[in-house]
Amino acid sequence: MDTKETVLSILSDLTGSDLSNNMDENLFDDGLLDSMGSVQLLLQIQSEMGISVPVSEFVRSEWDTPNKIIAKVDSMK
Amino acid sequence: MITNMITTIDDYGQSDPDRIAYNYLGQTHTYGELKCQSDALAAHLDQMKLPSGAPIIVFGGQTFEMIATFLGVVKSGHAYIPVDTHSAKDRVPIIAEVASPALVIAVEALPTEVPDVSVMQADELTEVFSQSVQYEMTHAVSGDETYYIIFTSGTTGKPKGVQISHSNLVSYVNWMLSDDFKLPDQPRTLSQAPYAFDLSVMDWGPTMAKGGTLVALPKAVTDNFKELFEDLPQMNLNVWVSTPSFIEICLLAPEFDAEHLPDLAVFLFCGEELTNGTAATLRAKFPQARIYNTYGPTETTVAVTGVEITADILRDYARLPIGYVKEDMTIDVVDEDLNRVPAGEKGELLISGPSMSKGYLNNPDKTAKAFIDWNGKRVYRSGDLGYQLENGLFMYDGRTDFQIKMHGYRIELEEVDHYLNRVPYVKQAVTVPHYNKNHMVDKMIAWVVPAENVHFDSELDMTKAIKSELTKGDMMPYMIPQQFVYKQSLPITPNGKVDVKSIIAEVNN
Repeated sequence: MDTKETVLSILSDLTGSDLSNNMDENLFDDGLLDSMGSVQLLLQIQSEMGISVPVSEFVRSEWDTPNKIIAKVDSMK
Repeated sequence: MITNMITTIDDYGQSDPDRIAYNYLGQTHTYGELKCQSDALAAHLDQMKLPSGAPIIVFGGQTFEMIATFLGVVKSGHAYIPVDTHSAKDRVPIIAEVASPALVIAVEALPTEVPDVSVMQADELTEVFSQSVQYEMTHAVSGDETYYIIFTSGTTGKPKGVQISHSNLVSYVNWMLSDDFKLPDQPRTLSQAPYAFDLSVMDWGPTMAKGGTLVALPKAVTDNFKELFEDLPQMNLNVWVSTPSFIEICLLAPEFDAEHLPDLAVFLFCGEELTNGTAATLRAKFPQARIYNTYGPTETTVAVTGVEITADILRDYARLPIGYVKEDMTIDVVDEDLNRVPAGEKGELLISGPSMSKGYLNNPDKTAKAFIDWNGKRVYRSGDLGYQLENGLFMYDGRTDFQIKMHGYRIELEEVDHYLNRVPYVKQAVTVPHYNKNHMVDKMIAWVVPAENVHFDSELDMTKAIKSELTKGDMMPYMIPQQFVYKQSLPITPNGKVDVKSIIAEVNN
């Protein structure tokens, strides 16, 4: 799976929603993710993609849409 | 030991006015300021000739002004009802409807109007705080009079206000000051839990009784982990109070350890189950610190059992004990007919003693159901299941009803359903908990049968529309399910009820 598919599948698991048609949706504004959700997101990215995202580098505004998350993950590969 | 919460705090303001009471991201406030401002507010409230005995709603966030307002309110003889800024928009009017408050003090601007109640706005409060008055306390809250009222969720959508008296509070705080918890003499304590959540009493209560400093960590910081981990080392905390959920976030950062936070000597947890794994990770990172697990319903003032999680406890208990009962309290374990079960067997925990609330504000029905006379004493029916081991330690084992704890918040699933079923797009809905591998609820999943003739382009749009309906009203954000699953129909038991158990089994499969 490529980054997009994996991220969308993680997000779908966390939020219960298929976000493939809503790539610029703000996940926090809509209440789809909260603090615990963002932690789970980082942990899933780590376990499924082997990319370690230091939690201390997490700035919410850089992770608030599916597109931003994908870009962020790609930049860390 | 303290005998009076208010005079204890005031005495520091007189004897040592420059002592730091509050630190908000580096901005400090002294006990002297706390005394001056709370005196000025108390004098002002006295002049307003408010109906005596009526509580005052205080709305705001993690700030010094909130603490000063609470103190001013109780000095003038009123109980306060804390409401957090991150609550549902209608939280204040909904609580006002139940509580008939004398006044709402908007430490921060209210998001919505409150019908028929006078409101003291933030600029007026600032003006009052700036006055210098000589205030003589003559009618402060004392004894069995209510000190604070914390609103929890209720099954009908109407929240319940748990009334905690000055005596309840003093009894609780003295336990925290006892040898059961080895708090430092000069606590610098994390104040992260919202003041509307009674876990916050575990930080401000003992800390202010000892003349220590509360170090605020507002939600805006905790939401951005980068900022959180930049701020934490600068806070020089020696006492940590939070839910296990919050420490789990912190434990993810490698720099969250004794090397970077060398002063941290005591960790206090309450509000949800502390797992062995979390406690073990924490111990490995802070080998010298003392870690305490505690348990208690809001109705019995914050916590009534506690135990230090030592290496022995970690080794001997895969599921951690909730602790030994507070010395002046009793916990009886009973079956469904309220008969005591044999020692060691599981049952509902009945809690009794000096930190038990007098009941729910203006709600005699719910009070009579939860606070009952049993074997010659008044006890609180906790709805929590547990058992006591031979060595005296209590173990927690779930709920008797559909109440869950998620991230420290107490949620009645029936209440969630009540809100969901009011949404016009919903024909029928049932919310069930999803458990993680530690048997803790990590999300709520709603099974929804959509109303007929409702059409959305996708399930996501439907979910968004439902969430938007839910956030419009008075539903607390933490009560909104994380996942929505759409179904043609829900499974039904032979008795014709929705088969909640089968749904729980399926989502946790």
